[in-house]
Amino acid sequence: MAESALVRMSGIGKRYGGVQACHEVEFTLGAGEVHALLGENGAGKSTLMKILSGDVTDYDGRIEIAGEAVSFNGPTDAQAAGIAMIHQELDLVPALSVADNIFLGRELRTPYRTVDRRRMDREARALLERSGVNLDPRRPVGELRVGEQQLVTIAKAISLDARVLIMDEPTSALTTSEVERLFAVIRELRRSGVGIVYISHRMEEIAQVADRATVLRNGQIVTSFDPRKLSTAEVVEAMVGRPVQTMFSTPDAPTGDELLRVEDLVVKPRRPRPGRRDPDGISLTVRSGEIVGLCGLLGAGRTELLETLYGVAPGGTRSGRIVLQGKEIRPRGPRHALAQGIGLVPEDRRASGLVLFHSILANTVVSSLPAYGRLGVIARRMERAASIRMADRLRLKFGRLQDDVGTLSGGNQQKVVFGKMLLTEPKLLLLDEPTRGVDIGAKAEIYRLLGELAGQGLGVLLASSELPELIGVCDRVVVLRDGRDVASFRTADSGESDLLAAAMGESAVFEEVGGPQ
Amino acid sequence: MTDVQDKPAVAPTPVEKASGGVAATLFRFQSVFGLLAVFVAAIIFSPRRDGEILFLSADNLANVVRAVSEIGIIAVGMTFVILIGGIDLSVGAVLGLAAVGSAVLMVESDWGFLPSIVVVLAIGLVFGALQGMATAMIGIQSFIVTLAGLQIARGLARIWSDGQGVAIAYGDGPNEAPSTFALLGERTFGGLVPIPVLIFAVVAIAAVVFLRISAFSRHLYAVGGNEKAARLSGVPVIRVKIAVFAICGLLAALAGVVHAVQLNQGSPNDGIGYELDAIAAVVIGGTSLAGGRGSVAGTVAGALLLGVLNNVLALNNIDSNIQLLIKGLVIVAAAALQRLRPAS
Repeated sequence: MAESALVRMSGIGKRYGGVQACHEVEFTLGAGEVHALLGENGAGKSTLMKILSGDVTDYDGRIEIAGEAVSFNGPTDAQAAGIAMIHQELDLVPALSVADNIFLGRELRTPYRTVDRRRMDREARALLERSGVNLDPRRPVGELRVGEQQLVTIAKAISLDARVLIMDEPTSALTTSEVERLFAVIRELRRSGVGIVYISHRMEEIAQVADRATVLRNGQIVTSFDPRKLSTAEVVEAMVGRPVQTMFSTPDAPTGDELLRVEDLVVKPRRPRPGRRDPDGISLTVRSGEIVGLCGLLGAGRTELLETLYGVAPGGTRSGRIVLQGKEIRPRGPRHALAQGIGLVPEDRRASGLVLFHSILANTVVSSLPAYGRLGVIARRMERAASIRMADRLRLKFGRLQDDVGTLSGGNQQKVVFGKMLLTEPKLLLLDEPTRGVDIGAKAEIYRLLGELAGQGLGVLLASSELPELIGVCDRVVVLRDGRDVASFRTADSGESDLLAAAMGESAVFEEVGGPQ
Repeated sequence: MTDVQDKPAVAPTPVEKASGGVAATLFRFQSVFGLLAVFVAAIIFSPRRDGEILFLSADNLANVVRAVSEIGIIAVGMTFVILIGGIDLSVGAVLGLAAVGSAVLMVESDWGFLPSIVVVLAIGLVFGALQGMATAMIGIQSFIVTLAGLQIARGLARIWSDGQGVAIAYGDGPNEAPSTFALLGERTFGGLVPIPVLIFAVVAIAAVVFLRISAFSRHLYAVGGNEKAARLSGVPVIRVKIAVFAICGLLAALAGVVHAVQLNQGSPNDGIGYELDAIAAVVIGGTSLAGGRGSVAGTVAGALLLGVLNNVLALNNIDSNIQLLIKGLVIVAAAALQRLRPAS
């Protein structure tokens, strides 16, 4: 591939102030190759790809596309050269329809120069089908769930007919079956000669889909390898630079009394909302000290259940019972839930968890403010002390408490959301995809923290679309399908395939996964 | 959870003491520097008489701050509203309503000083709270709610005063306002500081302190910064919004009282366009219209900056239309400067 490299980046260097984000990086991508890029947050993956996609224009080194030296003055140049990037932060306009988003800036026109909506809808539908999703292209993107939005960005990128496609954690919000479909799309693109850079934190995916993998650490390339030949432990070691004993800390603490009992919970929304799956008969229990997983495909109703328990689901009639420590409760909203001892770490920390341009201090204490003073007056020393104590406990990596929370890496931002909730001293913690977009080191720390919290008697209800996480972290996993609980497994004696089979329903298993059952 | 208690005996603080506060200190200074620059320019361009710089004369400076005090009081309330990502267009009309109310109650209804003031301020407070409820509970954008509020307050003022300005005469007889009220227009501290300025200063300092130390202010900034996150964090978003609009209404009414005493009348047409001057002061002061960042100190500097600018242009007999033009350019310049500020 030395001669025929589609992309050749050599001697790439980039410095942000005192931080060397990239140093003498050599990176090649062949036509029809899927090249995985690994590394912790801050390792330089994003910088490298921003350089390739024209986002960053002042760097050292040179880039060749199909043998010709190029220098981009902006993303438009890169797109003209056939390079498209799917950002981790979804760049979609919520109020516009799926089709409008896909064709944004290059709308199809009728002969009268008006927008040809019908043709756009038709082509968008075809594109979506190609990416393996069944979505009405006329629906506003803001109505879609995060995972569906991710699929729309992928469809959009494919529609650009790019020669080089950069995917930054494309599967972070996808369910297992959607990931499978995405991989089918990737294989098809590969066959047609598209080069793909695949950034991910999920080792299993890389082994499945990538031809080659390169690990970055501190802005430098550590190793390049065949992903099918190296074990996860070896890769992780290369990424973090030291051996990692175990990813998951298995909490062996004996579980205590029943903390939460949900009995046949049904929510009938006042008006139906597309894409929402309200609880339609869910029963489960969480004991104190127990971590219970919530498994299910996208649209199975995991988020909706957590929202109902936290009192933030849109109004409707509710039947069934929610019992917390033997007392029936009717969660009315976050304040009420927090007062009862229920905390929530929401799905999208940037949109719902944090005020990114406020300080770490302000973000950590906002839920527990009355505790740091009297008569509505804040005692600064007390809130600082609480914030610092929490930062220590979470092993938060930060400069000063005054720094904006948005300057932290994804994993550390997530720790701040955790800290905010923990300062309210909850008895039950509801977690919605707590490790999405979080690097592997921070992931391990969040798992360690969960184990520690459970050891102290906290009950945890953890919704996740990562099966290894559910198996590795939870004591028990409840599987939801179409708003109902359909199965419950002890993780000690079941595996990922059990969860998957239950989540998809028996009949679907053979279609989608094929063999293992 | 045992180590998460709220009784830290000693703060084990490896982090050095930063001056802190939710608002970044950097752009709080921007408007102060702007004020200094305009101040220096005012000295340079001020006309002189017998070598004395007119701008710097005690009388003139007192006039500058006196002219600023009403807009300043309103702008403090406006800062609160803009900090939560809202806007209040009704403040000018509420000022008019309060001015009319003060005049009608004290002159025509022969009410005493205190009851009149309390009722007028209460009207502003309730009016603001109602607007807050409409925006927080029904979910109408504050722009729309307060646009309607503007019309309603103006209409109420016209009805209450029969569409006429009510002149205020002071004395103890019927149809005369209590002379205590006249005191509000006087000067204090050896005739140096006009009382309206003192009121403005007290309001501003109270607001600065309140935003620094209160738990409420953290909630306020959080609502403006990311309303969804604030709600999920257990911040009482609806209560915060209602309170903020109530405060803004209260301060607009207070400015109306000050207005009535300074002009010795209450007219239903008082305060037209004041909302825009107040918003200008807030914007120049570096508060983001998107909410979540900004400070009252900046707003005070912004209001003073506009006051100094008006004053020095007037001293130089510059045409009032040109004054408008220059004010407009200053607002754009201030906003542009904030865009240039390095992103956090």
